[in-house]
Amino acid sequence: MKRILSLVLAAMMLISVMLLASCGETEKADITVGAIYIGSQNEEAGYTYAHHTGITRAIEQLKEEGYNVNLLIQDNVPEEDAEVTAAIDALANQGADIIFGISFGYLGAFEKAATEYADIIFSHATGYASNETNFNNYFGRIYQARYLSGIAAGLKAKEVGKGTNGKYNIGYVSAYGTQYAETCSGINAFTLGVQSVLGEEAQVYVKQIGEWGNPTVERQAAEALINTYSCVVIGQHCDSAQPQIAAEAAGVFGCGYNSDMTPSAPNAHLTAPIWNWEVYYKFAIETALTDPANFMDKVGIYYGGLKEGFVDISPLSDNCTEDTAAKIDAVKDMILSGEWDVFSNVKLSFDEDGNVVKTTSALTTNDGKTVISEDNASYYVYETNEAGELTGNMTEVGGADTIDSIIKGSMNYYVAGVTDVTE
Amino acid sequence: MKRYHIVKRDLLTPGRRIVFYLLAIAAALLLGALLLMMTGVNPLSYYFKMLTIGTVTDSGELSRLAYKQVENLIKVFVPLVLTSVALSVAFKMKFWNIGGEGQFLVGAVAAAFIPLKFGVIGNQALTLLLMAAAAMAAAAVWGGIVALLKVRFGTNETLMTLMFNYIALYFVALLGEEKAGWNVFLDPESQRPLFRSVWDFVTMPAITIGKFSLSWSLLFVLVLCILVYFYLKKTKHGYEISVVGDSIGTAKYAGMKVGRIIVRTMLLSSALIGLAGFFKLTSAGPLSTSLTDSVGWTGIVVAWLAKLDTVGIVITSLLISILRFGCSQASVTFGAVDSRFADLLQGVILFAVLAADFVIRFKIVKKEEA
Repeated sequence: MKRILSLVLAAMMLISVMLLASCGETEKADITVGAIYIGSQNEEAGYTYAHHTGITRAIEQLKEEGYNVNLLIQDNVPEEDAEVTAAIDALANQGADIIFGISFGYLGAFEKAATEYADIIFSHATGYASNETNFNNYFGRIYQARYLSGIAAGLKAKEVGKGTNGKYNIGYVSAYGTQYAETCSGINAFTLGVQSVLGEEAQVYVKQIGEWGNPTVERQAAEALINTYSCVVIGQHCDSAQPQIAAEAAGVFGCGYNSDMTPSAPNAHLTAPIWNWEVYYKFAIETALTDPANFMDKVGIYYGGLKEGFVDISPLSDNCTEDTAAKIDAVKDMILSGEWDVFSNVKLSFDEDGNVVKTTSALTTNDGKTVISEDNASYYVYETNEAGELTGNMTEVGGADTIDSIIKGSMNYYVAGVTDVTE
Repeated sequence: MKRYHIVKRDLLTPGRRIVFYLLAIAAALLLGALLLMMTGVNPLSYYFKMLTIGTVTDSGELSRLAYKQVENLIKVFVPLVLTSVALSVAFKMKFWNIGGEGQFLVGAVAAAFIPLKFGVIGNQALTLLLMAAAAMAAAAVWGGIVALLKVRFGTNETLMTLMFNYIALYFVALLGEEKAGWNVFLDPESQRPLFRSVWDFVTMPAITIGKFSLSWSLLFVLVLCILVYFYLKKTKHGYEISVVGDSIGTAKYAGMKVGRIIVRTMLLSSALIGLAGFFKLTSAGPLSTSLTDSVGWTGIVVAWLAKLDTVGIVITSLLISILRFGCSQASVTFGAVDSRFADLLQGVILFAVLAADFVIRFKIVKKEEA
């Protein structure tokens, strides 16, 4: 008994000494950034990884500019209000000045917290809510990058050749379909990019997996598209590189998503639409640092695209056809200069010399309904009833200035050339 | 030839037993400290942050939202302690209810249904009461089915309660994805399916002490724990439960209606777990598949660590809550260690305490082979 007691006493003394030693003064930071992640900060690929890399890169850049930035993280936070609120409280408690939340389901908790903590800026990715003083949301025009990757896919499919159905078959593994504007705008932009090369001879097959990421299901979907629908290029809107790895195993090609997937599928991958999150994070943190009172005027609801460098495509791999770079650059220049954008009454194609040709025509859905009129004056989406179900009729939402809100929220159609083969 | 034998020990004094348990916990923390040092984190500052649940800053002052931290700790503690106590009621009877997760979710769904479908009925208090009743009734049915099947057909309750968890879990997942006219659980304003918060209609009242607000749910739950304590210790029902737990044969011989006791006890156990779901829903947030925060599983650990003793469960729940909540607070400052470290530490502690249990009850002696 005595031995145990002396052991305990010795341990306690050791603890108190070490505690005193560890209570050093910490340097005062210019700004403390809080981040709430859906996954772990120690992941090495995927959604959380992309955001964490973006935030840490932005902070490194700011440190080089002489600012002292402190980063606090709450990770593995599920999309549940109680957990998110607790995470926000924890970050606020330790002095966060700006808090980023990267997952859609954090919305409710962020909205409430913004009212409660008026002195903290809240910034929420992929959401739609905001207020006028300290709560914004951020996302981007990834569809522009998807269009460019569609060009690479179309050119490759042309090189490989038509299937037995007389079409160039291209597959697309998607998390969801027309339920979300985010997914169907991606599918449509990719298809339009493919069509700039192949015109009406392009056939895009979409297979939904019903979740944002699941490596096994993603792979199975890609395999089904390759084996059953003879797809020779596989695009994707899901988290893992499995669709690309499946394409590689089957000797076909593909376009990844989120990060350059060439290392995962060196003989199959062409290029991937990617996000440069640090572009936003640097902008947001810098503004919160220098002019927090005007955050909503300066940053506001952020929706960056190719022009801001917020979205892009990963470097073209050697699997791309020779003319890919020139054609993509030509279209990219048109988007960068503001001359043209993906969803409009103008379709692009390439002539024999590789020059971009513009054709004015109405944009139609895959069941023949008009969604953008030929004169660009009327934009439509499918009508929904109160329960959120589609009625089958079209409803006009306005003119060309409504396209952003359609892409962000109300788009619920596939353009002509898309076939959804989800069982 | 000499061989090692495991021999039962004489009963140790309570003081000695406690020393063994404390040593076990210390050993677990030491192992955790080793892991922390391997990741380059000072284990003492980590444990300091963990045990003070972020209420104390590095310079030793109370942090600016310390009251919030305590409120959030209570939100973690309330569902855990009630679920653990409820599970212990069934465990006392040797009825292996590992369906806490499912009963919790079913309770929460039933509670959420009331305001989301009918709005505020009468006033706040009445609505909350109806929600609590709905939660208890639904969860009791969910658990009661398993008890009935066991009594009637001799099915294995461990398997059945386990499988019922998944039915409940995927039912909630379905509610979370299916946007349709009948689905009142979703927020009508959101494009993507998103659970609607019952806070649009009701909130659990709280006693405000300065900035700190003490949720009524904590007081209710503590009262419930006291009631369960007396129910198990002082009532005929409680006695019947322990007899059935010791030996069904004895209970039958003594003329007890074993089937009825099993069903009755399981109804009580699952109803209390459903009530925990109600408390979590009203004090913490909208429905979700992760609403349980795994209390259905952690509760099993707590109940066993406390040897099914109600007072012990309250204390153990508090310690486990501090461990879990504290780890997530510490992970804010120590980036290299994510919040899952809590799960690991909890597992190691359980393992160490079970090992201590072994040492308390048995000793290893070397003796000559006969």
